[in-house]
Amino acid sequence: MSTRAAEKERLRNHRLKREESEQERQRWVLLSWGGVAVLAVCVIALLIALSLSSSQGGDGDIDGAGEVAADLEGIQQQGTVLGSQDADVTVVEFGDLQCPVCRDYSGSVIAPLIAGPVSAGEARLEFRNWVILGPESGDAAAAAYAAAEQDRYWNFVELYYRNQGLEHSGYVTDEFLRSVAEGAGVPNLDRWEKDRANGRWDAVIAKTDRQAKLHGFSGTPSFLVIGPHGSEALGTPHSAAHVEAAIARAG
Amino acid sequence: MIAGEGRLRAASAVVASVGIAIATYIAIVESGGGAPACLAGGSGCVTVAASPYAHILGINVAVLGIAGYALLLGAALWRGDVGRFGGLFLAVVGYGFSMYLTYLELFTIEAICQWCVASAVVMTVLLLLNLARAVLHAGTVPRGAASGLRA
Repeated sequence: MSTRAAEKERLRNHRLKREESEQERQRWVLLSWGGVAVLAVCVIALLIALSLSSSQGGDGDIDGAGEVAADLEGIQQQGTVLGSQDADVTVVEFGDLQCPVCRDYSGSVIAPLIAGPVSAGEARLEFRNWVILGPESGDAAAAAYAAAEQDRYWNFVELYYRNQGLEHSGYVTDEFLRSVAEGAGVPNLDRWEKDRANGRWDAVIAKTDRQAKLHGFSGTPSFLVIGPHGSEALGTPHSAAHVEAAIARAG
Repeated sequence: MIAGEGRLRAASAVVASVGIAIATYIAIVESGGGAPACLAGGSGCVTVAASPYAHILGINVAVLGIAGYALLLGAALWRGDVGRFGGLFLAVVGYGFSMYLTYLELFTIEAICQWCVASAVVMTVLLLLNLARAVLHAGTVPRGAASGLRA
């Protein structure tokens, strides 16, 4: 009799233990679902907040200042011109700082030219702001020309391209331009602020527009190569080699 | 027929590997200052790559994608509830962020990058697979596990 009772008690305990285990399992599963939902919503919200914050631009988070400085180190800069004043050939780029293709050319064409004929003293580069993408490009151009007043024009232009945002997205703010100027190493930022507000850049920009049209250019970037053996309007070249061939012909 | 967990895990691993391949291609191309080639010759990929939304805290979104897909691959290989709910969590986050990026492409950047669309499709498939794995198998002991509820 007592054996049967003990057996019943054992089975009962076993059943209770199983039920408890099942309840624990259900609690764990429910907790996991809730945890996943809450944590996922928080992480998505955080990612979106970071994305929106990073997209504002001009937050001082400028990339590539050191690389640009290293690329241009030891190369003479005077105003808007990069390279030796004794070089026979001048390569003029007509570009818009908001133009994404110009940004790509900064890496694929301008960088090899700087490392090649410009560093070798065979050619010098000049960047002219051909403002075709609206008033924000004009603001960026004025900021670049103000940097030229302190011989940091090419640092500004190259750094701008490395941090370029989407055209017309509103990223060309005073804060963004100041961050680029700081990253470009403009020595006197107060003077730069005064210079970029100077209305004389409008005339320079208008003149560049007339020159570009005179050469028959239809879009940015367009290149003009000037040398002792004549000048050649290349338009938009396919590669750095295309420009280098024109330098050889002009020199 | 209830899908076996092994098949769901294998499918997740394959799809996550495809995601890693896509994100790696985008990251490599963009790290060189370029943009992924749009198959139909459009310029959507260039526009999206040039947009201020292509980076978060200076990190290319494609690099974050590689990390996300790699973690999803790890979750697919991880047995038990940790793998199930870890995978589901990552897939929900990835899907939510993909939808946000797709919204940006359509309404803010106004350009579509085919590679980003491909990545969003991959992430959607991963969400469905991880959801099925969690719904059908959460709390069960994986086949072959010696013991333990959450082995």
